[in-house]
Amino acid sequence: MPILIDKKTRVITQGISGKAGRYHTEQCLLYGSKFVGGVTPGKGGQEVLDLPVFDTVDEAKKAVHPDATMIFVPAPFAANAILEAEDAGIHLIICITEGIPIRDMVEVSRVMRQSQRSRLIGPNCPGIITPDACKIGIMPGYIHKKGKIGIISRSGTLTYEAVWQTSLLGLGQSTCVGIGGDPLNGTNFIDVLKLFEKDPQTEGILLIGEIGGSAEEEAAEWIKHHCSKPVAAFIAGVTAPAGKRMGHAGAIVSGGKGAAKDKIEALKKAGVFVTESPALLGQTMLEALKK
Amino acid sequence: MNLHEYQAKELLLAVGVPVPPFGVVDKLQDVEKTINKLHLKEAVIKIQVHAGGRGKAGGVKFAKTPDEILQVAEKLIGMKMINNQTGLEGVIAHQVLIAPPVDIEKEYYLGAIVDRNKAEAVLIASPEGGMEIEEIAATYPDKILTVPIGMDGSVKPYHLLRLGKFMGWEKETLEQGMNIAAALGKLFIDKDASLLEINPLIESKDGKLWALDAKLSIDDNALYRHPELMSYYDPSQQSPNEVAAKKHDLAYIALEGNIGCMVNGAGLAMATMDIIKYAGGKPANFLDVGGSATAEKITEGFKILVSDPQVKAILVNIFGGIMNCATIAEGILVALKEHPIKIPLVVRMEGTNVEQGKKMLEKSGLKILTADNLTDAATRVVKEAHAHSHR
Repeated sequence: MPILIDKKTRVITQGISGKAGRYHTEQCLLYGSKFVGGVTPGKGGQEVLDLPVFDTVDEAKKAVHPDATMIFVPAPFAANAILEAEDAGIHLIICITEGIPIRDMVEVSRVMRQSQRSRLIGPNCPGIITPDACKIGIMPGYIHKKGKIGIISRSGTLTYEAVWQTSLLGLGQSTCVGIGGDPLNGTNFIDVLKLFEKDPQTEGILLIGEIGGSAEEEAAEWIKHHCSKPVAAFIAGVTAPAGKRMGHAGAIVSGGKGAAKDKIEALKKAGVFVTESPALLGQTMLEALKK
Repeated sequence: MNLHEYQAKELLLAVGVPVPPFGVVDKLQDVEKTINKLHLKEAVIKIQVHAGGRGKAGGVKFAKTPDEILQVAEKLIGMKMINNQTGLEGVIAHQVLIAPPVDIEKEYYLGAIVDRNKAEAVLIASPEGGMEIEEIAATYPDKILTVPIGMDGSVKPYHLLRLGKFMGWEKETLEQGMNIAAALGKLFIDKDASLLEINPLIESKDGKLWALDAKLSIDDNALYRHPELMSYYDPSQQSPNEVAAKKHDLAYIALEGNIGCMVNGAGLAMATMDIIKYAGGKPANFLDVGGSATAEKITEGFKILVSDPQVKAILVNIFGGIMNCATIAEGILVALKEHPIKIPLVVRMEGTNVEQGKKMLEKSGLKILTADNLTDAATRVVKEAHAHSHR
């Protein structure tokens, strides 16, 4: 039993008529995901990739009953797209879009924190994948291998690195969740850790963090008290200078807070196997499993 | 986007925050005009740069006579400031702010940010101003109060009152302070700011409050909503490489090492810097060409790397996902054709179409070292950089 998504998950794409939305929907379909439609305001009634397109999420919800939505709407309109999906009662909202203004995300966060029915993953994330079952996002499908490691990450390509290494070592992945590189995001490390802790298929957890904020420290605290499974981790940005935004909007050491060394220390204290080399993500996971 | 102090002060004035009179000049001939206009007998002259620590770096001076104002301004206009915030290259002050000195009774701190944990904008206040907020937090943790700012920029009256009382303000000062705090919240939200600070906010001997210094950064992702702020963009405060990167939508940050690196994805780019250090070398930069870069972007990124004389070896690390490795190889080959390099280049590619990409690089006949994994790539580039710097 993987977490959040499986073979049966019905998915729509918001922004399906755009270049990226269409391309990645096609890639997800090729992987075997069950996409059932798309939404683009003004394009209702048309078809893209043989899927019905609707003007609103609400119409899509009523017609094709999606469980999840993948959002490729451009940044200026992405917050509205997330709120629309929540309002329509879509359970899982995955927002790939990068560059949403933080003021918009303050409003989104407020709604999502109180939402009883919806969970947001991202924004600014690669998405989520359960190997051999369902891919909702932009990750290259073929590097994944069905297996026993749950991966949670704030990064995109660095997650692929972790996936690739665990695939090569034969460990494989149960589910991989990219929670995104923005300062305000929907699902955080702890939310996903809780799900992996309960998931029998997941035997070990690989956590990929980076500088900025305190999500890794909070995750460490949770792991210390509640996690029975072996956890390995890598924190990117040991060499990042303070006060500079390292590509991701959320990756910034400010006011002496959010530095990699504090996160590494907190995780080590919680019994997590932390590697300093991004080339040893899989190897470190293997060592953690052996303990 | 960072704003200069004088730009932040202009915006504060526009929302009714009291700012002592000031003039901004970029050439010596205009200093006298400012002296006359503000009837200055003495003045504080401050360089306008996008970096803190100006006082300690010698960029803030006091002048006791009009002649001295001219002398100091001459020295400060065009001054290069170098400290830990500017990097080795430093930043040049093209303008100085000139203002009459103010008699200070007390200094306060008043700022606004988005609190990541609470997921809301907040005002931050402290009666211990004049030092960095981090220093206040470390020295006087009890002397900091935060109150929420609403989505529309409004601050609840009872929060304003709590803030004013916390600062120790009374009577007219309290009323004035509450108005300033309210204006700050509104400005923060209206302009999509990511940081707004008045530090110090000062109380003069007659009990009036003034914004003596101001700092304002705008959320880059929201700049499209603010055409009125575009004239505030000052590319002179960034290195030419940073400006070139911004133009091509690449994320670039100059560092102090000698190994240039180009990577797709921010997390992997940071991790690549880290593994260079882990292998005993020093990264010269952070360069993220994005998860879905095109051959053109790769070429532009490459040009930036090779234009840096500090760079003694280059590491390209790409995990092809959306972007396939053949595209990367194409971009590298175009760049090398336009800008032949004399320094070693190590390329590590993984992911979509990796074999085709590697073949394209090998067939080119150019001296490109390909690595099979990250450790191998890092070790080789560090070795090459070392050998090359001792030639």
